[in-house]
Amino acid sequence: MNQERFISLVRAEQEPLRRFLLALCNGDGARADDIAQDALVRAYVASGSFLGLSKFSTWLFRIAYNCYIDQCRKARPEQVPVEEAQSLVSGDTSDRAFRYQQLYQALEKLPEKEKAAIALFYFEDRSIKEISAILGMPQGTVKYQLSMGRQHLKQHIQL
Amino acid sequence: MKEIEAFLKENKPLVKDDPTFLQETRRRMDQVDGIKAEVDHQRSYGRIALIVALAIGLAAGVLITALAYLYPVDVQSVRHGLWESVRVFAQTWRQYLLLPIAAIAIGLGVALSWKTVRQ
Repeated sequence: MNQERFISLVRAEQEPLRRFLLALCNGDGARADDIAQDALVRAYVASGSFLGLSKFSTWLFRIAYNCYIDQCRKARPEQVPVEEAQSLVSGDTSDRAFRYQQLYQALEKLPEKEKAAIALFYFEDRSIKEISAILGMPQGTVKYQLSMGRQHLKQHIQL
Repeated sequence: MKEIEAFLKENKPLVKDDPTFLQETRRRMDQVDGIKAEVDHQRSYGRIALIVALAIGLAAGVLITALAYLYPVDVQSVRHGLWESVRVFAQTWRQYLLLPIAAIAIGLGVALSWKTVRQ
């Protein structure tokens, strides 16, 4: 796959990919974009091995998730205070900013797998089958992670 | 649970519109392409060097074999070189060679023990 073809495929996927990583990084936009860049380079290097057995976006999200997990294992990143993280989203009303603050604070408390499942299902509208392929876990486990994630979020989000 | 689901769907994280993101991606890809090109170049250079070395080895082998056939060497004339003379000498006089070696060993032993006693 040449660079132009790859870029054209990435152009459509960059926003969902960055949003997914932003949720995983609890609103830390700089860190999310850094991981996204890493993932895109890894994907480009491995693009010869993409056989088209799954959707390009599923393949890309899987690489991005693995990059995120690798980065978490390497070093515990400096946590951006959620108050700072919510300011990354410009042009929000205070009510909306408060909701984002609540969301990121709640996401921060979730285990990685639950957070990833929640982000893919609710923010990216992915099917259970796709989430199972991206996270490399059986569909039953994805449903369990979603259910646990919802329960945990309910404890941390005041509605 | 429905409220949580509605909350999540209404509050999807918003990514900042960043035109430099794809530019940065492209820049990193250019770097990857540069490394790929360099690795390919080194690989082809190594392959050429290997082929040249094989060709030189083959030519040298053919040349030496041809020379060996064209100018055969009298083996008996080179057999009695220096090493061969030393070997023959050692074989002939081996019982007498052991005597000085043993003498040196005993002498060294006595000298060292003498020195140790004096200290």
